Amino acid sequence: MPKLSDWVLISFLTLSAHAVALEQIYQDPEVFISDAFGTRPQPKVLWLTSPAQAEIARILGHPPTQLRQRYWADGIKSVWILEEIGKEEPITAGFVIANGRIDHARVLVYRESRGSEVRYPSFLRQFKDATLTSDAQLSRAIDGISGATLSVSALERLARVALYLDRLSRRQ
Amino acid sequence: MSILRTATGVFALTFGIVCTAAEPTLEEKLQILQQEIDNIKAQLAKSPPQQPTQPANAPAAGANAGATPTVSNTTVGGYGEFTYNKYRNTDVNNNQADLRRFVLFFGHRFNDSIRFYSELEFEHAVVSSGDRGEAELEQAFIDYRINDAANFKAGLFLIPLGILNETHEPPTYYGVERNFVETRIIPSTWREGGLQLYGEFAQGLKYNIGVSTGFDSGKFDDPAFAIRSAHQELQLANANDLSVHGALNYRAPGILAGAGVFTGNTGQNGASNAALKGVSGRLTLWDVHAKYFRGNWDLQALYARGTLGDAAQITNALIASSGNPNLVAPKVFDGWYTQAAYHVWKKGDMSLTPFIRYERFNTQQEVAEGFTADPLNNERVITAGMTFRLHPQVVLKADYQKFRTDSTKDRFNLGLGYMF
Repeated sequence: MPKLSDWVLISFLTLSAHAVALEQIYQDPEVFISDAFGTRPQPKVLWLTSPAQAEIARILGHPPTQLRQRYWADGIKSVWILEEIGKEEPITAGFVIANGRIDHARVLVYRESRGSEVRYPSFLRQFKDATLTSDAQLSRAIDGISGATLSVSALERLARVALYLDRLSRRQ
Repeated sequence: MSILRTATGVFALTFGIVCTAAEPTLEEKLQILQQEIDNIKAQLAKSPPQQPTQPANAPAAGANAGATPTVSNTTVGGYGEFTYNKYRNTDVNNNQADLRRFVLFFGHRFNDSIRFYSELEFEHAVVSSGDRGEAELEQAFIDYRINDAANFKAGLFLIPLGILNETHEPPTYYGVERNFVETRIIPSTWREGGLQLYGEFAQGLKYNIGVSTGFDSGKFDDPAFAIRSAHQELQLANANDLSVHGALNYRAPGILAGAGVFTGNTGQNGASNAALKGVSGRLTLWDVHAKYFRGNWDLQALYARGTLGDAAQITNALIASSGNPNLVAPKVFDGWYTQAAYHVWKKGDMSLTPFIRYERFNTQQEVAEGFTADPLNNERVITAGMTFRLHPQVVLKADYQKFRTDSTKDRFNLGLGYMF
């Protein structure tokens, strides 16, 4: 008579034989951009001058590796697709900024092994209406998720960068 | 030649993009382009030519051009902590400073579905036959991702019981020392070799179910730590009896609620103590836990309980082989704690957070008839202190611990911890 542990082992082997690998892409970045505007506007580019690079490095804790930031804008609204590593893998997130406030945020691709709860609307809703304070912090506190500390922190940093870049794009 | 191609590509990309907004000067643009070329050259020099430096499923180049650090298929992380314990009663205890842990994570992505994770730990700074330091692998497993609902891991992995066992980097918990309930009742850092299925049932509701190696009650040698000394850590683990585990956790912003259970026989067909041949010695360990951390508050509570079958036979076998009459295996062991913290000050990445924790645990709550539990194993501890976060990943900690049963252990602790 097989024991419980034997049954569990047999079930795993059966399941794994039928497993089909899928990527953890929650929304195509192109679709995110189109959804934000209704149509897809022409991309624009923001040149990151030395002071801008320094400010982004202050927010991220490391310098940006790309020095021309592509973005999409139409009137008061701008869209930023950014990436940052949480623990080991980059998280791709999209931010829609309107009038200097975050209109909405979305995790587009998640690759980390733990912390994928940051993709849920209940977490991302907290970013709505956040602005950038004078010391480059978010104007509102973001409650974390247990076991997802580094992913939460990465998304907060990206939100700050998105707001900063939006401000910069309007200044230039 | 490749550098020339890269430079040409950057030039083409630059002029292919529609530029709006008031631009930097031509000289500034040239400087930025030169910086980009230098970065690309540095990346090319670091990366083997056949290794992609971006995940295969990254959005198209240019769509996400921004703040992305270079990503290699092989990653390194880590954490560590330095501690200082100063006892009130130095007649019985020795004040100590220690490099408690130095841990390195190594991971490798074979493709988008198959990854390797590992955690290599060094304890107490020096590892040699004449020192107390240890070198150990706490995790080494292959993770096979399928989708959000079902994924596998196989190898040496952490058992999903409690809050601390899977998330034990110093900046993630309060107190210089890890709490007693999750080190003596739940033997963190607790890992087993086996296979686990995990995923999400619904939004935020995660499950784990697995089969793994278990405990060997013939190796039990310290009643003060409940079943901890009988764990095998996949070091030539006796696997005549396997165990199963399951956990369910709900996570939402500021909320965690969950429970876990682990059960299996521990006799191991008498592999390490012949008197246990044919003895089941079933161990069942379970816990319930909750965490609420919204705004400035951070509240946490946990209860864990273990039962060991055939405790009388196991104790008789242990005493007979060791000659130690105090080697009494627990029949029941349990504990709980509750903890409150409040962020009194925050500025940027820095914060100051006082906390208080009360815990009660008994590693010999019940023993088999005819044996006596050591009253010192029934303890209550109050820990009060402060965490100063210099950075989300770097903390300074200070606290005082008051032991209600054995006051000779009362102590002041200082700690410095980090993770990356």
